[in-house]
Amino acid sequence: MPDAIPLPRVAPETVANTTSLLRIIALSLISGAAIASRLFAVINFESIIHEFDPWFNYRATRVLAAKGFYEFWNWFDPTAWYPLGRVVGGTIYPGLMATSGVIYNILHGLNLPVDIRNVCVLLAPGFSALTAWATYMFTKELKDASAGLIAASFIGIAPGYISRSVAGSYDNEAIAIFLLMFTFFTWIKALKLGSAFFGTIAAVFYFYMVAAWGGYVFITNMIPLHALVLLLMGRYTNRLYVAYSSWYAVGTLSSMQVPFVGFQPVRTSEHMAALGVFGLLQLVAFSDLVRSHVGSKQFRTLLRVALVASGILGGAVIVLLTLKGWIAPWTGRFYSLWDTEYAKKYIPIIASVSEHQPTAWPSFFMDLHVLITIFPAGVILCFKELRDEHVFVIIYAVMASYFAGVMVRLMLTLTPVVCVAAAIATSTLFDTYLDVHEPEDPSAENSVPVVTVSGESHVGGTNVTVTTPAPAPTPSKKAKKAQAQAAAPASSIASTIAEATGTAGVTTRQDRGVFGLGSRLVVVALWVYMLLFFVVHSTWVTSNAYSSPSVVLSSRNPDGSQHIIDDFREAYYWLRQNTPEDAVVMSWWDYGYQIAGMADRPTMVDNNTWNNTHIATVGKAMASSEEVAYPILRKHDVSYVLVIFGSLIGYSGDDINKFLWMIRIAQGIWPDEVSEPSFFTPRGEYKVDEQASPAMKNSVMYKTSYYRFAELYGGNQPQDRVRNQNLPMKGPTLDYLEEAFTSENWIVRIYAVKGDDELGRDLKVANSFNEGKKRKRGRPLVRRRAVAAV
Amino acid sequence: MTRLWHWTQVLYLLSCLLSVSWATKGNILSFENTAIVRTVELGGSLVAVTTTYAIQAVTGDTSEYIVALSEAEHGVTSWIEATLKGSVDPLQLKPLGYKHDYAAHLYSITLPKVPVKGETTSLVLETVQTKATYPWPPSSPQGGEQLLKYESDLLVISPYVTSVQRTKVRGPASIRSFTTPEGLGAFTDEPTAVQAGSVVTYGPYKNIPASANPFFAEESQKRILIHYEFNEGVLTVVKLQRAAEISHWGSNLNIENQILLRNTGPTLKGHFSRLDHQFQGHYHSASAQSIRSVPMLLPAGINTPYYYDLIGNVSTSKFRPSRSGKSRTLQFSYLDLRPRYPLLGGWNYSFTLGWDAPLSDSAKWDAKTGRYIIGVPYWTPITGSYVEEAEVKIVLPEGATDVEVFPPFNPLTVNRTVHTSYLDTTGRPAIILTNTRITDRHTGVIYVTYKVPFTAHLKKPIAVAAATFSVFVLALAARRVDPRIHK
Repeated sequence: MPDAIPLPRVAPETVANTTSLLRIIALSLISGAAIASRLFAVINFESIIHEFDPWFNYRATRVLAAKGFYEFWNWFDPTAWYPLGRVVGGTIYPGLMATSGVIYNILHGLNLPVDIRNVCVLLAPGFSALTAWATYMFTKELKDASAGLIAASFIGIAPGYISRSVAGSYDNEAIAIFLLMFTFFTWIKALKLGSAFFGTIAAVFYFYMVAAWGGYVFITNMIPLHALVLLLMGRYTNRLYVAYSSWYAVGTLSSMQVPFVGFQPVRTSEHMAALGVFGLLQLVAFSDLVRSHVGSKQFRTLLRVALVASGILGGAVIVLLTLKGWIAPWTGRFYSLWDTEYAKKYIPIIASVSEHQPTAWPSFFMDLHVLITIFPAGVILCFKELRDEHVFVIIYAVMASYFAGVMVRLMLTLTPVVCVAAAIATSTLFDTYLDVHEPEDPSAENSVPVVTVSGESHVGGTNVTVTTPAPAPTPSKKAKKAQAQAAAPASSIASTIAEATGTAGVTTRQDRGVFGLGSRLVVVALWVYMLLFFVVHSTWVTSNAYSSPSVVLSSRNPDGSQHIIDDFREAYYWLRQNTPEDAVVMSWWDYGYQIAGMADRPTMVDNNTWNNTHIATVGKAMASSEEVAYPILRKHDVSYVLVIFGSLIGYSGDDINKFLWMIRIAQGIWPDEVSEPSFFTPRGEYKVDEQASPAMKNSVMYKTSYYRFAELYGGNQPQDRVRNQNLPMKGPTLDYLEEAFTSENWIVRIYAVKGDDELGRDLKVANSFNEGKKRKRGRPLVRRRAVAAV
Repeated sequence: MTRLWHWTQVLYLLSCLLSVSWATKGNILSFENTAIVRTVELGGSLVAVTTTYAIQAVTGDTSEYIVALSEAEHGVTSWIEATLKGSVDPLQLKPLGYKHDYAAHLYSITLPKVPVKGETTSLVLETVQTKATYPWPPSSPQGGEQLLKYESDLLVISPYVTSVQRTKVRGPASIRSFTTPEGLGAFTDEPTAVQAGSVVTYGPYKNIPASANPFFAEESQKRILIHYEFNEGVLTVVKLQRAAEISHWGSNLNIENQILLRNTGPTLKGHFSRLDHQFQGHYHSASAQSIRSVPMLLPAGINTPYYYDLIGNVSTSKFRPSRSGKSRTLQFSYLDLRPRYPLLGGWNYSFTLGWDAPLSDSAKWDAKTGRYIIGVPYWTPITGSYVEEAEVKIVLPEGATDVEVFPPFNPLTVNRTVHTSYLDTTGRPAIILTNTRITDRHTGVIYVTYKVPFTAHLKKPIAVAAATFSVFVLALAARRVDPRIHK
């Protein structure tokens, strides 16, 4: 067999050792790249907790680190949802905080006094390295180690995953993607080996996942779906039975130990699929057992009757239980996955979150770049082999693609499978084009120029190749098939198979294909060029789009240097240092966690949007006039009202732009008192200028936002730089609130709620008296008396 | 060390002995004050008082001169130092404690030599007063004036007879009002208070008898009150926690200050308006009441200064480094420290300010005794402010022994603890000094000497190496154990 280039003769052990060393080096480099690319946020800004939810996680972790696990478990937070409070231990997924707490304690046990904030900030990058490793293991099960390495490098820098795991993005997703991939890997492993041990490991990681992220439901449904599809494909084996049963039994029981989950695995519809498949597998296993004892003809009838009967029975039981209320029906969030308009109609609070919107097409390219185009090729390659684990990837690809299209944030669950499939495709391409072996018949070389690049998938599919330039042991397709039938562990004997099939590959080799060294190099070079562009794109997206803490804003000075806009922290720190510790702050719920974390003050509502009425109360207070809002504020002991106002520097994420959602949510509870249409102009426009509707102009939100803003322009036309509208020359006045603090760029404005008037007057009356205006009714009386005196 | 721990007791005993000896000798006649001039420099948080005593030895048998501070004066005095006029070397000054017979706190100053009978000497007593002023009116609207009141005794008391004395009070800007004391006909026949510009002069008062006694305090002493304008920020460091960490491996001295700053001027009346604040910044001279930035002089040669607070980095400040060199006593690194928000009257701001400095700038190894000597400045003053509570912690290298501390002035308490930090096995010895009411004159250097055995230097590398090695051994063993039940 001739080679395109001469290969040195090396002993097999040396090859194996070198391969494993290279693999370790490659994985370490990939981990390093994964961590490094997530540090843009720290380098461009600082080691700071990002956005909104991470601030709560950080605060909870601090409690855990300072007071220990039991205190944390029983933590009742009276400052959140004032005056209701929040049982934190029972309403969170504690996995993230527990992970940081354990790391923190280990480091301090080693006398490494690392600040808890730095543990939290760097947790996500650290776990991204583990994700890369888990993806490597997963892909290795599907194809081989080289595909695994490519998948690991993809997931390491794919923006779709980086968007939720940059340093400082201390959220559940930070560790959840690692757990997701590792659970899937152990599941595949358990299924391949029929091992209860790996099934239990899958269950343990499933439990960790349940403790860490609400997205565990994805695993809860993916694994049963995979099992079901395998059943329907007629691929039932004892391995499937062992793997699934051990995973389900241990996983479900342990997941019920998380207080926030509790009895949901047996009482909600989301979890019923797993239970159903578990029951079905028992039936199938039983029927398998019966078949081994009974003749085939009777068995067939028996099976049919039994299956139909048990299916009907099981379905009826579930329906009955649902009707009886024992099993909770699907939740609204679940419905919104199938009908994107559902949330807008019935649960505005879910729809108001930007990450719950359907995904825009460009964001697929933004988050996955070239991978999204290679992804289908990888899925097709899975069809070509279609072992059990390939079925899994196909199902995963289909489901995740759908969900990613429905909700922006679910792009995250799509990213791993895209990386895996793209890696399979890329690896197959490299296997094909970097194969140094050439066909024996020299006449075949004549056909080389005829083959076009478009035929490559065909070529790649039919020509199964063995070696790669880094001589990684690569089992061939045929060997794998044989091996799958024999149900033997694949990876452990991969090297022997590679040796054994070295000759087998040659015998089945076809003569068609691209064999010219130049043509191969062109294809490979193009591909590498594309991948390099993926790296450039990922770096660019990461540094520009995903590394902003959103707590700190940044702009450029005229000389190009960075200018930090730090209004949020300025105002929050002012609250923390100069207001009474029990002063309740009312703001829109977006800022609840930040106020609790940075200002350390009680808030009325926060990002844990569990009480719609309470949020609607805040919405109503913001949307009503001062006279209506004042009693609400006083009843809730509110001392300060905080609004975000971007008009001065053009910060578009301000409260006036979110105002419509406040109105909608308030309208949902008080349709008689707040109505959305009254906030629009007669022509149906959302305006803040002279033509703004009276309801708009009188609302607390409008008044607090624009209070004294016009004066800043010193008699010139005041302008709103976010909405590009000219504001009225005379700004609103306040009677029941007074300005307490405004940050440097006016982004955060804090108002104090006035106490009762000393003379018991209405505050509006008192205010107009102080300004020297007399009561309208009083004026004629005075005049008359004056006339009489004359 | 024992000496240091018990210095208070020792001093107390000493003072008792001295006072007894002094009282028995009856040295009330050994000196006479020919003239006393007191100058009060009014400030915000700090008031500097310089009193010059022209003394004449009457008997010429002792070098102990006694100065007296009334109860009220002593209560506000944070720092005291006596020198001969024209000299910078401080004279020995011993507190004798409160004496009921004199109705005053007495201090004994030891003159360099026993004066000859009739010889005259000029003594300068400098004190710095804290909490001696208070804002009046106690609150003021944003952009309003900042007015303070200073209250003091009119006459300088002394256990000796005084021929003539006068008091000058110098205000930083205009003086709004001052007390004109009456009923001093016994000492003067002129108008007793005269204002010239921003200086008010009381006196001269003549032929004052020995005034440090309860009778004089009741009959003749008067209080004066000065109401004046102050156009700079009135800042107080409510709490200072300073930690100095020495690393021989890194050749680094890390100093970290946790500071709680408060604007103790008149509290803000009403609320803060950013609009007015911005207009004041642009069109008028900035109001003294809102402190936008705090200039700080940090040591020369420092690197990587950091400034953050409870919620992260504060990026608004400007730092101008200065390299350490021969002229480092003259040059400082300059930090224009800006709080996150302007500090208005009554507002607080807490932050952490730290830096690294080369160890060679402040430490030396004495080859003769085999000891290291390190000097750590007590605090880095913030102009015009004082510290109410100060805690200075000096963390020595792991394994340091024979630790001795030489503070520049007497601390309230000295404690020793063990501080455990990066990869320590036995922990580092640490010394904690606490004090109250530290002024800008308390700028001495705390000297610490200690020994570090060679083995202590090796402790950390050995610990780390052993830990790493054991991990490898464990991994080695784990690879070779087969946990499978079936083969």
